[in-house]
Amino acid sequence: MQIFVNTNYDFVRWRFRAVLFSLVFVLIGFGLFLKNGVNWGIDFAGGANIVLKFNEAVPIDTLRSIPVLRDAVIQQYGKADDRAVLLRLPEQKKETDYAGQIVASLNHTFNPQSASKLDLNFQGRDNLSGLFQATDPDRKGSGTEGKLYYDDIAQKIINHRSELGLFSEMQQVTSTPGVSTGASRVLSEKAFIGKFNVLNQETVGPQVGKELQQKAVWAVILSALAMGAYITLRFDLMFGVGAIVCIIHDVLVALAFLGLINGEFSLNIVAALLLIVGYSINDTVVTYDRMRENRRKIKARMTLSEQMNLAMNQTLSRTILTSGSVVLVLVALILFGGRVIHEFSMILLVGVIAGTYSTVTIVPAVAIAWDHMVGKKSPVTPTRARVEPVRAPSSPDSPVRASKSKRA
Amino acid sequence: MNSNTIWKLVLIVGLLVLFSVALIPTKDNPEPIRRGLDLKGGTHLVMRVNINDAVRLDTDQGAELLKSQAVKTNLPSVTTRRVDDATFVATLAPNVTSAEYEKIAREWLANFDMSRTAEGALQFRMKPQAISVLERDTVTQSVETIRNRIDALGVTEPLIAPEGGDRIVIQLPGVDDPARVKDIIRTTAQLQFRLVEERAPGQPLEGPDAKALAAQIPPALAGEVEILQGTREDEYGRSAGAQYYGVRKSVPVTGRDLKSARVTKGPLGQPTVGFSLTPDGSHKFGDLTRANIHRPLAIVLDNKVVSAPNINSEINDSGVIEGSFTPQQANDLALVLRSGSLPASLTTLEERTVGPSLGRDSIRQGVLASLIGFVLLVLAVILYYRWAGVNAVLALFLNLVILLGMMAYFHATLTLPGIAGIILTLGMAVDSNVLVFERIREELREGKTVRAAIENGFARAFGTIIDTHMTTIISALFLFQFGTGPIKGFAVTLLIGLGASVFTAFFVSRVIFDIVYKPTDRPKEISI
Repeated sequence: MQIFVNTNYDFVRWRFRAVLFSLVFVLIGFGLFLKNGVNWGIDFAGGANIVLKFNEAVPIDTLRSIPVLRDAVIQQYGKADDRAVLLRLPEQKKETDYAGQIVASLNHTFNPQSASKLDLNFQGRDNLSGLFQATDPDRKGSGTEGKLYYDDIAQKIINHRSELGLFSEMQQVTSTPGVSTGASRVLSEKAFIGKFNVLNQETVGPQVGKELQQKAVWAVILSALAMGAYITLRFDLMFGVGAIVCIIHDVLVALAFLGLINGEFSLNIVAALLLIVGYSINDTVVTYDRMRENRRKIKARMTLSEQMNLAMNQTLSRTILTSGSVVLVLVALILFGGRVIHEFSMILLVGVIAGTYSTVTIVPAVAIAWDHMVGKKSPVTPTRARVEPVRAPSSPDSPVRASKSKRA
Repeated sequence: MNSNTIWKLVLIVGLLVLFSVALIPTKDNPEPIRRGLDLKGGTHLVMRVNINDAVRLDTDQGAELLKSQAVKTNLPSVTTRRVDDATFVATLAPNVTSAEYEKIAREWLANFDMSRTAEGALQFRMKPQAISVLERDTVTQSVETIRNRIDALGVTEPLIAPEGGDRIVIQLPGVDDPARVKDIIRTTAQLQFRLVEERAPGQPLEGPDAKALAAQIPPALAGEVEILQGTREDEYGRSAGAQYYGVRKSVPVTGRDLKSARVTKGPLGQPTVGFSLTPDGSHKFGDLTRANIHRPLAIVLDNKVVSAPNINSEINDSGVIEGSFTPQQANDLALVLRSGSLPASLTTLEERTVGPSLGRDSIRQGVLASLIGFVLLVLAVILYYRWAGVNAVLALFLNLVILLGMMAYFHATLTLPGIAGIILTLGMAVDSNVLVFERIREELREGKTVRAAIENGFARAFGTIIDTHMTTIISALFLFQFGTGPIKGFAVTLLIGLGASVFTAFFVSRVIFDIVYKPTDRPKEISI
């Protein structure tokens, strides 16, 4: 099977409309950022995120009426029958164990029994084992033997819990394979099934959040510059500038998309942006590479626009295929990868598409504009010099004018 | 097949075996690739060591030293006052020359800069380099103490490392009870044995009301006593509200004098913590108890009175701490006492805890998504390039084995973004094959022979492939530099995968072509 063989699209001609389209898209996205404000995630804004799974329908109203959650954003996590809820608490002035304190206080509200009994949905292995050791229902003594014996039972119960998500009735605990009758008796006397289980809790102090914000901005800027430097080194300045503009374009488009979906700006998003910086430039590199090779091979006079069009058409099938394969993978991640990497994969997908798009539109626009501005027929590669002399510096087929006449 | 190709084939099979072996779970190594906290569940903590605590302590000790040395050399005593964390002022008795004190300072307080205040008192300020040495030592010692505690808890493969300046990063995989572990880590565990002062002989200063107690401190002892909180117990040993104690400020015996601590049982079977003392500690404890029989001795932990039993007889080398402990609390107290006290308090800057069930879901979804992505990729490549596509898939498969094997050998951690990274790397690895194959097709269209097309295809695509890989490697390096935890894992996966992809696309695919389309056969057709 072959597609896009011997194509002859005039990409260069479309560049102005493309630039306009990108500009409009980016402006809309950033307009939405201005309107809605940036939805900073906990990584940058600080505060706490807590995800709780309940063993019955999430008591949203009770949660809203709890004083410590006064400033919290409370929303459903996942699907309704997951019975999970996300609590998002704003930044604290002081560095404290914020999430831990909130969880403790919620436990106090929802599970008043926890003052005298052990909550089987909340406590971990060691505390459970501690309860068995203190009561010693199977007469194993207080030595190492007893500790190992009860640790083992406790571990089995905890494993069973993480398989189920959480316990909803005592019978599930006592029927766990390996739990002795004595242990079951202790459990029904001294333990109970709490209303919720903590899936995830995060606290980011104000200091860390600010540092991460700065680090993220610098990482994206520096990596874009490093990329430009590498391209300049391997090719020349015109391509380096084109590459940087292309990277900025791709990152801005990805950010604008985040604004469109009002997505949360998290560490994962920054990771996606950094990856876009490195990956979306690949198509550009392949095109540059082909242009350079063509200059060596083809001795005929060609304008910069013609050179670019030729190289882009020659590499078109590769560009579509590679982007296509990455897109396939990303679509799989978006559909099946779960919540945690959902937005990450979406942003990456937009970035990859933007990268391919900018290669055939933004890059020629920049290269030709640069060529026009600098006024020379571009790059000084040794082989190029041999082709160069046949053309006067401002010949009538100057690339910009050539493309204008084509449109006329 | 010529010998050259055979050797290459041997190398490839060798690598395949080498990396596959690393992936086989064994009894000692049931989990060849370590799962990150986001997949396994566990806690990631960033703590700040409050170095000021340690500086303050050293400043106080400096002041004590000046006082005690003055007494030893029979000089009139001085009064000292701490101005800030690193500075104290020593006021001399009237009409005493400072020369002798300055001599003591030069000999014993080398870490302090000495100056005179306007009132003629001596001011001691800790030298900046002394502070920075103290800073480093405090962090190192904190890391050490935390490690002892976590090891005693039996957490497998914890990570405890200083991170720039005053921070410590702690990663505890598989911990299902973060609250308790955090408490254990954070307890400073500064244990002190201090005498409870008396308002009159035989009447210890203790009671449920802090203010009333403060008023009862005998005036002569005003500067020497402080009020500390404790818990009152009823006759069954249950806690029944707050109890305050007026205890002496001087601390004759501390947790540093402890040799060991363990859980013991009290007369009613209640859990207690027994301890034994070092020889030096025994000596000090003996002196203290002998001189104060029938008086209460406060056992102070982190500025709270745990209990204040009466001294019934002289005690030398061991004793028992009683309080209303649960077995777990007694266990934890013994643990922190054994592992030593923290030189400074800790503040939590960042915490990320993933419960085990969320980790389970994440890994299930991540693996499912990756498998689907991989199958789609394989189908697309074979559909488009037919037999050459099969070649590319073989290369991809080897890439995957090398990537996972390397992760196992280097003990890299697999995170959820890392799983995305693996499948993304494979998507990118296809790029190298596509570049080569498209080149071969072009050469064929230009009428080259199959062998020439293969030769030229690989040769011409080489520079491009290096460039595309370099750009992604550069951004992966920035990602590594920037990221924490899961994102670092992602960057590592990406870097290894990119390296492997250059190798498989060039070397492995080439060898497969060389075997199928042998140069000696002069092949006329190629399936691409």
